[in-house]
Amino acid sequence: MKARDKRYSNYFWKATAVLFLLFTLHPSLITSSYAEAPKRIISLSPSTTEILFAAGLGDNIVGVTTFCDHPEEAKLKPKIGGMSNPSLEAVITLKPDIVIMTTDGNPKEFEERLRSMNIKTYVFTARTMSQLPDGIRDIGRALNEENSFNTLASDIEKALGSYKARRQGISKKVLFMIWPEPLIVAGPGTAIDDAINLLGAANIADDAVIQYPKYSIEEVVRRSPDIIFVGKGSGMNMEETAGGLLKRISYIPAVKNNKVFYVGDGLYRLGPRVIEGLEELEGLLNKETKD
Amino acid sequence: MKTKLTLITIFAAMVFVIALFIGPKPISPFNLGEMGKDIIFSIRLPRVLVSILMGMALGASGAVLQGILRNPLADPYILGISSGAALAAAFGIITGLSLFGIVTIPLLAFIGALITGVFVGAMGWKRGGFWPDRLLLAGVGLGFLFSAMLMLLMSISSDEGLRRATLWIFGDLSIADWSIIPYGSVFIAAGLVVAMARAKALNALVLGDDLAHSLGFSPRKERFILFVSVGLMTAASVALGGMIGFIGLLIPHIGRFLVGSDNKVLIPVSAIGGGVLLCIADLIGKSIVSPMELPAGIITAILGAPYFLFLLRRKDVLSI
Repeated sequence: MKARDKRYSNYFWKATAVLFLLFTLHPSLITSSYAEAPKRIISLSPSTTEILFAAGLGDNIVGVTTFCDHPEEAKLKPKIGGMSNPSLEAVITLKPDIVIMTTDGNPKEFEERLRSMNIKTYVFTARTMSQLPDGIRDIGRALNEENSFNTLASDIEKALGSYKARRQGISKKVLFMIWPEPLIVAGPGTAIDDAINLLGAANIADDAVIQYPKYSIEEVVRRSPDIIFVGKGSGMNMEETAGGLLKRISYIPAVKNNKVFYVGDGLYRLGPRVIEGLEELEGLLNKETKD
Repeated sequence: MKTKLTLITIFAAMVFVIALFIGPKPISPFNLGEMGKDIIFSIRLPRVLVSILMGMALGASGAVLQGILRNPLADPYILGISSGAALAAAFGIITGLSLFGIVTIPLLAFIGALITGVFVGAMGWKRGGFWPDRLLLAGVGLGFLFSAMLMLLMSISSDEGLRRATLWIFGDLSIADWSIIPYGSVFIAAGLVVAMARAKALNALVLGDDLAHSLGFSPRKERFILFVSVGLMTAASVALGGMIGFIGLLIPHIGRFLVGSDNKVLIPVSAIGGGVLLCIADLIGKSIVSPMELPAGIITAILGAPYFLFLLRRKDVLSI
């Protein structure tokens, strides 16, 4: 064997050894980071924050958005900015093991940016109530905390299933008002629309093109809902805020018959509290059908 | 000239009737029905009236401002009045103020606009009179400041408040309600009457202060009176339904193309033109994606700007 050939064969073995080492080490690297649940989690949306708290990971959350106000403990967590404009610097400073985001509300570029900086991310893609349990299980997998998330998902699934089984045509036309002036209502693809359908009633705005359309008052009159729900999301005096609009449409059945109800914000976020929201709507709808 | 004016008035009346009965869905005037009556009287009529009032105020103030500032680019919003109104209204929307019920936000907008108007006036005032360039620069400067503060407010507000504020700022005629029309129309009518009464003086001001003086008008006094009338009209308009761009800037130019630059005719024609345009724009905005609605301000710009550019190519509309 010539000296040059010998040198090449030397290189070959060295390279093989390095590759072998890399291949054996690599999976172990991954398992080591996946073996334990992430200790430091940042949640970039109120719904994922609520899911994480409900699954018992509240203590591991090190950062949330300014909109994450539920449960109460969430308000005490460090804030990293809004949903659409989180601060990259604030996120990095908190040294998260993983950042949980959603497709609705968080910018995609932000996720790409985090990934390019080797920060692990998970994007929650569930948009409807039926997608919620699997969405929760997926977060559990991503966080390596499958048990608690699976239990939470199964609970929600069971509750939703019982609503489905009980479902009956109520033949009531419902309008869910998010805000009165300008009139913004819950349209298709929202947990609110899911809830109304699940309870067997009909959302008069379910043919809108976007989730929360600015709705025509004329159309409300024309479609004359039997029941109006007014969401009390922002902790404001909605009775007063909605008063003006309701007075203007006082001749439609819902207002004329005193079927305007102010409801909590359980359905505003696709998380564990949708069941509370469903219960509340069901109670009111059932009372109305009995009357 | 008389035929032209008659035609414009007939056209305006037609638009009014069409907007009332055609709407997003036609309602037969001969067979209203219970629901039709409700829709027309409690929803469409106040809304159409508000759009006409706002359009009239903006069109007329545009014509007056271009005259007193002797600047073809002047519009009611260049004086920062709209930014002041928007800032005050957005503050109310985002913080959820509801001291005076339904009129809280319009009232805040009106106060914001008036305070800004007084501010701009004070800064444009020197040696016993308004200086057009000072007024303009004060308006632009304050406008920038208020816009920045508005952005600040919006960037720290919740998404929900942000969306509501944005919709309001871009002109939301859906909040039109009988209860605010009387206030709006009083201020707009007062401004319009003053502007028309001083139309002759405005004609003289356009020619230059010296000439105005020699024609027997006091430029300082006239400019002050006209400025107050513009302030009232703009403030009332923003308060009625938010900021509608384009009308104040371009309607007077289109008016001049149609009837010439005599302000005695131009001011009423700009008023009618503005009213008609905003009424049409709102009709389109609430009809094309019904049951959803688009802000009328976006439609006015999309409709009007190409027409203006077309005129610009055909005839020199940039002279005052």
